[in-house]
Amino acid sequence: MLWLCIHLPQLRHESQAANAVEAIERLAAWCYQWSSQVNYRLEQSNASALLWVEIGASRELFGGHGVLLKRIDSGLTDLGYTHVCALAPSPLGAALLTRVQRQRCVFTPAQLRMRLEPLSLTLLDMAPEIGYALQSAGLQRIGQVLALPPAALARRFGPQLTLYLRRLLGQASDPRPAWQLPPVWRARCEFGCELRDTTALLFPLQRLLQEFQGYLRGRDCSVLRFTLRLEHHQRPASDLAIGLSAPARDAALFLQLARERLHQLVLPAPVLGLQLEALEFTAPSIVQQDFFGSPAEQLQQFQLLLDRLRARLGNEQVQGLAATADHRPERAWQMSRQIASTRSISALSASSPSTSTPTPPGTSRRPCFLKLDPQPIPPPPHLLSGPERIESGWWDRADVIRDYYVARGEDGARLWVFRDLSDGSWYLQGLWS
Amino acid sequence: MKPAPVPFEQLAELCRHGQRRHGPRDALPSGFVELDAHLPGGGWPSGAVAELMSDAVGIGELGLLMPALSNLARQGRYVILIAPPYLPYPPALMQRGLPLERVLMIHTSTLQQTLWATEQALRCPAVGAALSWPACLVDRNVRRLQLAAEAGGSTGFLYRPPAAALEPSPAALRLRLHEDPSGGLIVDIQKSRGGRAGMRLRCTNSDALAVHSSAAAAA
Repeated sequence: MLWLCIHLPQLRHESQAANAVEAIERLAAWCYQWSSQVNYRLEQSNASALLWVEIGASRELFGGHGVLLKRIDSGLTDLGYTHVCALAPSPLGAALLTRVQRQRCVFTPAQLRMRLEPLSLTLLDMAPEIGYALQSAGLQRIGQVLALPPAALARRFGPQLTLYLRRLLGQASDPRPAWQLPPVWRARCEFGCELRDTTALLFPLQRLLQEFQGYLRGRDCSVLRFTLRLEHHQRPASDLAIGLSAPARDAALFLQLARERLHQLVLPAPVLGLQLEALEFTAPSIVQQDFFGSPAEQLQQFQLLLDRLRARLGNEQVQGLAATADHRPERAWQMSRQIASTRSISALSASSPSTSTPTPPGTSRRPCFLKLDPQPIPPPPHLLSGPERIESGWWDRADVIRDYYVARGEDGARLWVFRDLSDGSWYLQGLWS
Repeated sequence: MKPAPVPFEQLAELCRHGQRRHGPRDALPSGFVELDAHLPGGGWPSGAVAELMSDAVGIGELGLLMPALSNLARQGRYVILIAPPYLPYPPALMQRGLPLERVLMIHTSTLQQTLWATEQALRCPAVGAALSWPACLVDRNVRRLQLAAEAGGSTGFLYRPPAAALEPSPAALRLRLHEDPSGGLIVDIQKSRGGRAGMRLRCTNSDALAVHSSAAAAA
């Protein structure tokens, strides 16, 4: 067991959360990505906090305690928390070492004892009257207390003190409740002032997203959508739903998409608070890197492109195309939101393309460009070929009887025109681009 | 003496590079024999921007790209259509061999959005080709798109009005397209990086430009 203890002296102030419990819970969730054993204690009327993370079991996974410590340390700095980290084989020992100036990392019980012995008695976490009694007995260093016979100490000051000392040295077990991740993610921060500009929201948002990423990593899951709620004074909050085309848990990607959405947003009122909420989670999509660059990798890159385009231009502006089985040209197609990206990777690499879409009826050629609303034209002078009769749709009140021709326009364009046989007028519907 | 061991990453890069060199990535066969013969590398340039200046809409300017696009899509790369003047008609695209699940259509409302979307599409390595119909362009825009295409290894096709032919442009390939009264398309190579400019050729062939299907012609 190797416990990392993080002392957060200004947690309440720095977190911008509504209360300290919410703040420390969020940070505990963030720490959960490094270890499954996390717990915390709030101190001094909730202004500061101690957070313990057991890293002995996972340090090899993250490349040694040095690398892991550096990552946690820089992560906390990025999140904007003042913090002191200490490392010791016992939780109480680590907590004590956060209060010393230098040499806060020890790895074995023997090292811990050597480190503690020269330290002042006042660093011990015990009732003030016991400390006073020990000091008036002429003891000043922790080492001097540890040298006393435990039985005598227990008789004089009660068994609590000896238990504390044994736990401090890692000689007695110190069971702690294992903290559990919340099933849904809700994080909120309040601003001290009114924010009138969406750009100013990006900084607190970045922190929320980083904590969110830590939570997702800890749970080993990804999200397809999450919601940002901007809170206003005496007005309903504005919600921004951010959706992705593939499950992801990358804070940088989230920020990029959120930034696009925020830039388009016109704030109805100044923002007082920001909330991030995610209710549904999916298994992470892990893409194996192929030696030569695989279809799966390509698909992932395409999904990133799709998300970026949709975030800036809107969902309706980015669409796939599909053919439908209908003889009427204007009904033989549709926009589809189902682009290859939404299929599973295995299906994509296995099946050959264009087996799934229906073939359009008829074998006659169709023009590359279609005018959505046929344009009335005078009878064309140069007909190149035709006619092709299309008579269909009596069942759904969009009955058509048309003769289609290929005509030559004045500028040399080849036009797809038809004569509406119900009234004899001519229309232009397509271009042979 | 034993040769020094090549690190894995470097080996992978070597293999990929080799594949790109000799594979279909360097140039994209256009499907038109006449055109391929005059384009450097034997096809549309990869990782570059090509400008197509057509006399009119509807002379086969989209059909000219169809064989190449269909090839790209069958290799699993995506084809992005950005702000076309009319609807690219899905049944027609299928008839010309383009699998629709590889096609993405983007509508934009401003020129800025068109340029942004084109650049994003070109930058994505999964994209084989991006076809864009910007309302107007200046040098700087084309250069930006050219850089994006180089980064992504894709080909950008920009449809521009014939008046653009009078201005210089940093695009790797510039073609003027005229209608051929006998069917097909007349192509003037106005600029071709690494190739010869000033050629005029006729693209006939192919299914891509034909107004009638062979089946219908036979019947």
